[in-house]
Amino acid sequence: MSNDSDVKLRLNNSELWGGLIGLALGGFVIWSGLKLKLGTVNDPGSGFVLFYTGILMCLFAASIMAAAVTEGGPTFGSRWVDTRWTKPLLVIVCLIAFSFALNPLGFLLSSIPMMLLLLRLIDPVRWQLAIPIAALVPLGMWWVLKRLLLIQLPSGIFEIG
Amino acid sequence: METLINVAHGFGVALQPVNLIYCFIGVFIGTLVGVLPGIGPISAMSLLLPITLSGTPESGIIMMAGIYYGSMYGGSTTSILVNIPGEAASVVTCIDGHQMAKQGRAGPALGISAFGSFFAGTFALVALMLVAPKLASVAIAFGPAEYFSLMVLGLVVLTFLTQGSMAKALLMACIGVVLGVIGLDSITAQPRLTFGRVELIDGIGLVPVVMGLFGIAEVLLNTEQVIKRDVINTKITHLLPSKADWKASAGPMTRGTILGFFLGILPGGGAVISSFASYALEKRLSKTPERFGRGAIEGVAGPEAANNAAAGGAFIPLMTLGIPPNVVMALLLGAFVIHGLQPGPLMITQNPGLFWGIVASMYIGNLMLLVLNLPMIGMWVQLLKLPYNILFPLIILFTIIGVYCSSNNVFDVYVMIAFGIIGYFMRKLGYEPAPLVLAFVLGPMLENNLRKSLILSQGDLMTFIERPISAVCLAFAVMLLVGPLLPALRKKREMVALDEGV
Repeated sequence: MSNDSDVKLRLNNSELWGGLIGLALGGFVIWSGLKLKLGTVNDPGSGFVLFYTGILMCLFAASIMAAAVTEGGPTFGSRWVDTRWTKPLLVIVCLIAFSFALNPLGFLLSSIPMMLLLLRLIDPVRWQLAIPIAALVPLGMWWVLKRLLLIQLPSGIFEIG
Repeated sequence: METLINVAHGFGVALQPVNLIYCFIGVFIGTLVGVLPGIGPISAMSLLLPITLSGTPESGIIMMAGIYYGSMYGGSTTSILVNIPGEAASVVTCIDGHQMAKQGRAGPALGISAFGSFFAGTFALVALMLVAPKLASVAIAFGPAEYFSLMVLGLVVLTFLTQGSMAKALLMACIGVVLGVIGLDSITAQPRLTFGRVELIDGIGLVPVVMGLFGIAEVLLNTEQVIKRDVINTKITHLLPSKADWKASAGPMTRGTILGFFLGILPGGGAVISSFASYALEKRLSKTPERFGRGAIEGVAGPEAANNAAAGGAFIPLMTLGIPPNVVMALLLGAFVIHGLQPGPLMITQNPGLFWGIVASMYIGNLMLLVLNLPMIGMWVQLLKLPYNILFPLIILFTIIGVYCSSNNVFDVYVMIAFGIIGYFMRKLGYEPAPLVLAFVLGPMLENNLRKSLILSQGDLMTFIERPISAVCLAFAVMLLVGPLLPALRKKREMVALDEGV
C-alpha cells in the first residue's frame, strides 16, 4: 500500500469492486446466453452473441481485478475527496423520489416540488426566484405540450394536468 | 456535372424555410452548448433527439448536425475567454487562446478561430461531396463479414482512444452490446433479457440511455464542483485578424484542415484527437516552438481548423457505410433510425434529397455560424455569466420531458434516471460511457452481421480472414488490442486518450 488513498487487496479498493461487478454481470450474461440456446457455428442461436460477449466481459473484468490487486487502486472515499459529494447525492434522492411520485401524482404535482428542491439544494437560489421558476417552468412546459403539441403528460390519480 | 446537379438539388432542400429554421436552431443551440462548460454536444443532441420526431427527417437531421458542428465553433469562445473548454475538442485552444486573451488579443484569437473553423468546415463539406458518393459505390460490395469487421474496428479504436484503462473501456463496450440486443431477437423472434416486462420487448431506447448517461450524469458530476469562471472582462476588439496573423495562421489552418478531415473519417477518431494532433504537429514544425503555450496564434488556428474538419469528415462513414465512427454520429444514426431511414451505401442513390440536403445545409450552417460567432460574440460572453444553480434543474426537467415525449412512456423516464445514476458512478470509478453508447447502437447490427456471415459461410470462421477488407480491419483491431501491452504504445495511447471518446 503506497498511501491511504491507494490500496491493494483491501475491501475498500474501488477498482476491485468495479471488476467484481463486471465479473458478476459477465456471469449473468453467460448464463442468459446458455438459457437462450447457443445454436451452432453454422446456425447461431439467440444466445450465441450473449454467451461470447459474457465470456469477454468476464475476461476484461478479471483483468481489471488483477490490476487492482497487483497495482492497487484508489479507495471509494478518495474518489470523492475535495468534492461536494452531498450535492449529487441530494439530486439522486430527488430523482428517485420523483420517479416514485410521477405515476401516482402526475407530472405537475411531482415536477413542481422536484424543481423547487433542486433549485434550493444544488446552490440555493433565493426563495423569491426559486418559487416562480419551480412553478412556472413545469406549468409552461405542460401548457406547450398539452395545448400546442397535444402530448398528454401523466396526470396521476388526482387527474391534475 | 452530376455532382453539381446534386448540390443544386441539395440547396433546394436546405433553403426551404422550415429547413433554414431548423438549421439555425441547430447551430444556435450548438454554439450555446459549446459556449457553456459542462454541457457538450452529446448531451445537447441527446436532449433534442425527441424533437426530431416532430418534423421531416431532413429537418431533424439538419438540426442535429448543426448542433454538432456548431458546438465546435462555440467551444473555442469559452476556451479563449474563460480558460475552460466548452467541450472536449476545445481543450487545446485554451493553451494559447487564453494566453492571447490575457495579452489583450482576445479579438484576433476569436476571429482566427471562427475563420479557421469556417475554412475547415467548408473544405470538409466539399471533400464530403466528392468522397461520399465514390465510397458509397464501393461500399455496395460490402458483405456482412466486412460490416462486422468494420464495426469491431470502430469499437476497438474508440476503446483505444478512451481515457483510462483499456480493459474498462472494453468492458463498457461489451455491456453496450448486451444492452443493445435486449428485446426480440430479429432472426428467431425470441425475447432476450426482457425479464417478462412488455416495455422491454422492443429493447431499451437510445434516447433514455444517452440522456441518462450524458445529460443526468453530467449534471450530477457538475454539482460536485463549484464552477468558477474567470471571464476576460476587457472589451473585445479587432475581431478581424491582422495581415501578420493571417500569414502566421495560413499554414496551420491548411494542415489542420487536412489532418482533421482524415482523422475524422477514421472509426473512433474525431474532433478531439485531431485538435491535439494538429497542436502537436504545429509545435513540431514551428521554428519557435517556445512561443507555444504563451499565446501563439498558430496554436489556435491549427486545432480549431482540425476539429471542424474532423466534424465534417465524421459524416463520411455514417453516410456511406451506415457505421457511426463516434458517439455523436451514433446519435445521428439514432435520429435516422427514428425516422425509419438507414444510412448506408444506398442512401445517396435512394434518398438523394436527404443526403445532399444535409450536406448543403451544413454549408449554410457554417455561414450562419460565422455571423453568430463574430458580430454576436458579446451575447455569448454574457451567457457565460448564466447561473448554473438555475441551469442544472432546468436541464433535469427538460431531459425528463424529452424522454417522456420521445415514447409517451413513463418507463423510459425510469430507465433514464437509472442510467443517469449508473452513469455518474461509472464516471466516478473511471468507466467512460462513450464505448457503451457506441456499442449499444452497433450491437444489434454487429450481431446480425456476425450471424449472417456465419450462416452464409456455413460456419467457416475463415470468411473473416479470406475477405481482404475484413482481414485488414480485424488486423488493425488486433494491433490496437495488443498494442497497449507494449510500454511505448501504451504511452502514446495515454497521450491521445479522449475525454468523451468523441
